[in-house]
Amino acid sequence: MVQEKKRAINRLQTMRPIRAEIDETYKANVEASKAGNPIAWAMLTIWLGDAIFHAMDIGATYPESYGAVCAASGAAQSYLDRSDEEGFPTHMCGYARNCIGYAARMMKDCGGEIPPEAPMGGMPKPAVLLSRGMSCDAGFKWFQALARYMDTPMWTLEMPIPGVKEGLSEEVRERNVAFMTKELRDFVSFMESVFGRKMDWDKLSQTVQDLEAIGRVWYETSELRKAIPCPMHSRDFWTCMSGPSTPTGDLKKKLKLYQDLYEEVKDRVENKVSAVVQEKYRVGFTELPPWHSLKLFDTLAERGWNFVVETWGYHPAVPIDLTGVNDPLERLARISYSGLTTSCFQGAAQAGEYMGFLGYPNLKYAEEYKLDGFFLHPLLSCRAASAHLWYVQDRLMQKLKVPSLMVEGDIVDVRMFDLADALKKAEAFEEIMDHYKEVRKKEGMEW
Amino acid sequence: MPVAEETKGLSRVKELYQDRPQRVKELKGEGRKVIGYLCIYPVVEMMTALDLVPYRLFGDMREPITKADACLPPMVCPFLRSSLDLALKDKYPFLDGMVMAHICDVGERMAHIWRTYVDYPYFYFMDVPHTTHKSALDMFKEEIKGFQKSLESFTGKEISAEKLKQAIRVHNDQRALVRELYDLRKTDPPLITGTEVLQVMVALAGIPVGEGNELLRDVINEIKQREEKSPKQAARLLVWGSVIDDVSLIEIIENAGANVVMDDICVGTRSHWSEVELTPDPLDGIAYRYLVGIKCPRTFREAALDPKGKNYMADLENRFGYLKDYVRGWNVNGVILQSVRYCDTHGYEVPAVRDYLNSLGLPSVYLEHDYSQSSLAPLRTRIEAFLEVLG
Repeated sequence: MVQEKKRAINRLQTMRPIRAEIDETYKANVEASKAGNPIAWAMLTIWLGDAIFHAMDIGATYPESYGAVCAASGAAQSYLDRSDEEGFPTHMCGYARNCIGYAARMMKDCGGEIPPEAPMGGMPKPAVLLSRGMSCDAGFKWFQALARYMDTPMWTLEMPIPGVKEGLSEEVRERNVAFMTKELRDFVSFMESVFGRKMDWDKLSQTVQDLEAIGRVWYETSELRKAIPCPMHSRDFWTCMSGPSTPTGDLKKKLKLYQDLYEEVKDRVENKVSAVVQEKYRVGFTELPPWHSLKLFDTLAERGWNFVVETWGYHPAVPIDLTGVNDPLERLARISYSGLTTSCFQGAAQAGEYMGFLGYPNLKYAEEYKLDGFFLHPLLSCRAASAHLWYVQDRLMQKLKVPSLMVEGDIVDVRMFDLADALKKAEAFEEIMDHYKEVRKKEGMEW
Repeated sequence: MPVAEETKGLSRVKELYQDRPQRVKELKGEGRKVIGYLCIYPVVEMMTALDLVPYRLFGDMREPITKADACLPPMVCPFLRSSLDLALKDKYPFLDGMVMAHICDVGERMAHIWRTYVDYPYFYFMDVPHTTHKSALDMFKEEIKGFQKSLESFTGKEISAEKLKQAIRVHNDQRALVRELYDLRKTDPPLITGTEVLQVMVALAGIPVGEGNELLRDVINEIKQREEKSPKQAARLLVWGSVIDDVSLIEIIENAGANVVMDDICVGTRSHWSEVELTPDPLDGIAYRYLVGIKCPRTFREAALDPKGKNYMADLENRFGYLKDYVRGWNVNGVILQSVRYCDTHGYEVPAVRDYLNSLGLPSVYLEHDYSQSSLAPLRTRIEAFLEVLG
């Protein structure tokens, strides 16, 4: 009898129903579309647009997440090629090229129907597009480019991002929150006008409450990962992160699933159960992983690498006090602006780190999660996610003597990532992590 | 004795083009404070109103990037990398401060890197919204107010409304003079080459606005009296795209047998076409001009929905309609779309702008380069092929 090989990553059992629930969303949207209900294509907007869609009973699908689905299932290449044929530069965002190729195929070859080869049931033709004015220029340029293929109304949500020093003042904070709240109100009016239906404000308030509850439990789960050994590997984090960041479907059910996840992680902490067989190196991962080559993490887990924390922006917002804030739109604005975007600014300013939430949290994580090193994954087709990583590498070394392994790749395009080379580099990097562990010890650092 | 008295017109332009810091170093020696800025979103009127010298920073495509490699990777905009590289090599020792804005996402990241590694007595990062929504305009006005306060605190002086209006007027004068200069390209053949115009625009970006206006008047007079005109060519081209701060590409195009008669770049029409309206509260006019008036792909704008939904051609007209005015006014018969590699804001725009040009019946070609001399040479063949198509 062949004995099943023990997997190096000890995956969480409660992760599986969460994944199933997320996957179910694609099917639900296809069914809803077939039944004549409108579907939105939305960029990730950290709940801002999501809450409004949910409260207006409009299903949302996320082409960024779908890009990862296409990459992981091997379906992306034909869409990337199609984008190239359409005249878009090949160095643009892999997610965007995947989506543009998909849209061209759907609209030009399939008469607006889902292409038959589309994985996970595909994305139905949208009734509205929601883009964003933050994170990356692709956040709005990509959907703007879709106008070549579909006459779909589009809205761009604004999210201001001041500099670290400029953003410290209360005046700037309140001004920006007011701006975002007004933008959300205008977006609601836009949606009402496009769909001819009124916002259900009570339902929106309930939706925001549910999202806050999911966010809190997800945040607390992340905090548990500071434990040694770390109970939850990045693979589980990435599998589950789109639940809170793309909140669709039954939110009460989702909350229960994330509470179950929290309980399992907590139980592991109490019983000192590690996410890898033997935790030798605690590593942070910055930026999105190569979805097409996740085997990388299994191989590294066999060598004792435990990936214990990821990019700040994919983590839940730091809970903030919202006592007295009753307007659900203002609550959303405050969570997004104060909880996620600028909550690290005070610490960053004190540390003289001006890169804000893209830079400083890596230093904070290195200390709080007691990291031996960082795996930095610059995405060759994503400037927004990569431009700062060389800086981050330098700051981690200069300030904390934490080394980083830089391995270039892409989230969608497998041709830009060399798995064998990455593994060779990782092996050599272990000596560097060992060396700097000694250096930190000599310099009196805690880990 | 000011150098301006020694050489005038195009000779002076060439001096300034070849040695940009020359004049600001003199001014610095006279006790003036010099503030560097990148791109066209920092509000120059504010700096002028406080008697500061705004100095626009460019890259240098003739200088290999070496120092910036350590903190800004090769897969991002080579122009921005080059600009940072020069700062890290201490090529701007005369700067008293720096203003950067959220021009694009790499620009935003780079601003923070710049602030970390290069120490100036003054630094300000200006957030710029991505849409032209009314609330975005209101927010941007407040952001400009914040910039004003910070400059006032740095200089210890206040900007009176009258001072600001005066600064607006003198910058608007420059914009009008630039348009007058561009009018000299409408004739066939044009009275001034594309290469010369770019040299003028680069020169203007490194001297105080008043001196720039004087220089422009001299250049315009000189050109009008010019006896030797540019050679008449079949191709009258518009050059569109990302920043061009070196004449090499324009020279290649003109040497290949075309007249570059118009542009849509930020060292050209984008930086100087629209004026600031003198509104009762000057900040309203400034905010509108910088957010709505400047037509750069970094800002999202779309056509209003018609009753049947969104209309792609209406959307294109709203985004690129100004190009039709350029094409008609300057009798353009071909367009060169060019961009530095890894520029997302321009990259996404290319198929749409080509769709619009096609709707006007205008042929176009798209060229990408990595902001280095060596990357331009291979483009010559493609430019020559394009000119053959134009006949």
